[in-house]
Amino acid sequence: MTHDEAALLMHAYVDGELDPAKCLELEAHLAEDPAARAACERLRELSGAIRNRADYHSAPHALAAQLRESLPVLPEAARSRLRWRAWLGQAAALAAVALVTWVAAIAYLRPGDGERIAQEVIASHVRATLANHTWDVASSDQHTVKPWLSARLSFSPPVADFSAHGYELRGARLDYLSGQPVAVLVYQRRLHSIEVYVRPARDAIAERALTRDGFNLLSFARGDMDIWLISDLNRNELNDFARLLAQSP
Amino acid sequence: MSDRRLKFEQLVLPHLDAAYNLARWLTRNDHDAHDVVQEAALRAFRFLDGLRGEAKPWLLTLVRNSCMTWLKANRPAELQAIDSHAAELVLVDEDTPETISLREVDRRMLNEALAALPAYFREALVLRELDEMSYKDIARITGVPAGTVMSRLARARRLLATSLRAIRKASTQRVHG
Repeated sequence: MTHDEAALLMHAYVDGELDPAKCLELEAHLAEDPAARAACERLRELSGAIRNRADYHSAPHALAAQLRESLPVLPEAARSRLRWRAWLGQAAALAAVALVTWVAAIAYLRPGDGERIAQEVIASHVRATLANHTWDVASSDQHTVKPWLSARLSFSPPVADFSAHGYELRGARLDYLSGQPVAVLVYQRRLHSIEVYVRPARDAIAERALTRDGFNLLSFARGDMDIWLISDLNRNELNDFARLLAQSP
Repeated sequence: MSDRRLKFEQLVLPHLDAAYNLARWLTRNDHDAHDVVQEAALRAFRFLDGLRGEAKPWLLTLVRNSCMTWLKANRPAELQAIDSHAAELVLVDEDTPETISLREVDRRMLNEALAALPAYFREALVLRELDEMSYKDIARITGVPAGTVMSRLARARRLLATSLRAIRKASTQRVHG
């Protein structure tokens, strides 16, 4: 802060009108500069002297009474404006009711968090499939996939191999759900791919099964992780897979 | 009592002192301050429907406008002088020392120095120190940005300190001379 700048801001400081950031900046400047500190003190004194010693000219007692007497009588136009204002009041009341109804309806119809995330999972799954980019790391080896993910995320998702049960690990990628990075594990069952979305639990998610756009979705919490499954696999087999996943070490 | 009279009574009249104080400091005499406030108050009564937010800065805006009209008609030289002073604030070191000992400054000296300030600086200081209005309200009343309020107050205080020093010097010389 330059000397000139400080000399100007000092006034707003003494007047209690300086924003907190500038206030800190100026105080740091004052701490280092005794001359500026003294100037600030003089400013305070001057301000106090004006307040305490300069004349405050109160209105003469007669003025209020004279004003009351000289007020004109309400013209007609003002009365019709009053009627108009009354009508405006009713319109405002109606508008308020409409607004409340609208807000309530929106709150009622708005998709819940579960539904919103389900939509995001579907979008992500479809996008990856369309772009033919379902994994960033292609490996059926859990000991390759898990460190690859851990190195890129702030958490370490559970990765298990279920090939013995007919669910083969194919790879993994990173994605983004509700403003948070997630791990996506990709498994394969015959010709069907299953995607497993994993992220650290934020709030207890409800265990739920959904069918949207021909995809089956499952969500549940596993330890301190939230998990979403999405696949075009039939519901029964997807449930089996979810059980395996939930029981895996 | 009509609605409008009641509103006037509740919203405008409580700020009559502030209105008069501003008008008195800007016109520098009781007779004209009286007329200016009366005119502004009647306008306030007429435009009461236009009042949004706080009544005090709103009323003071009307009073200030009446004062400016009065100054233009009766003291045009003062407003011209204002323009030359309103030039951007230039800080000169010799200009800054408010080194006057304020203990030796009495009411008369302060009033004299304040009254001698150019009108734009006088109104800013009166609104700030005597009516304790915020920069935001002063900006609204005087029709300038808040940053200009700050630089005008800075300039006003410097001018006042310089003026106080001169007044004190003159009075000491009178005593000893």
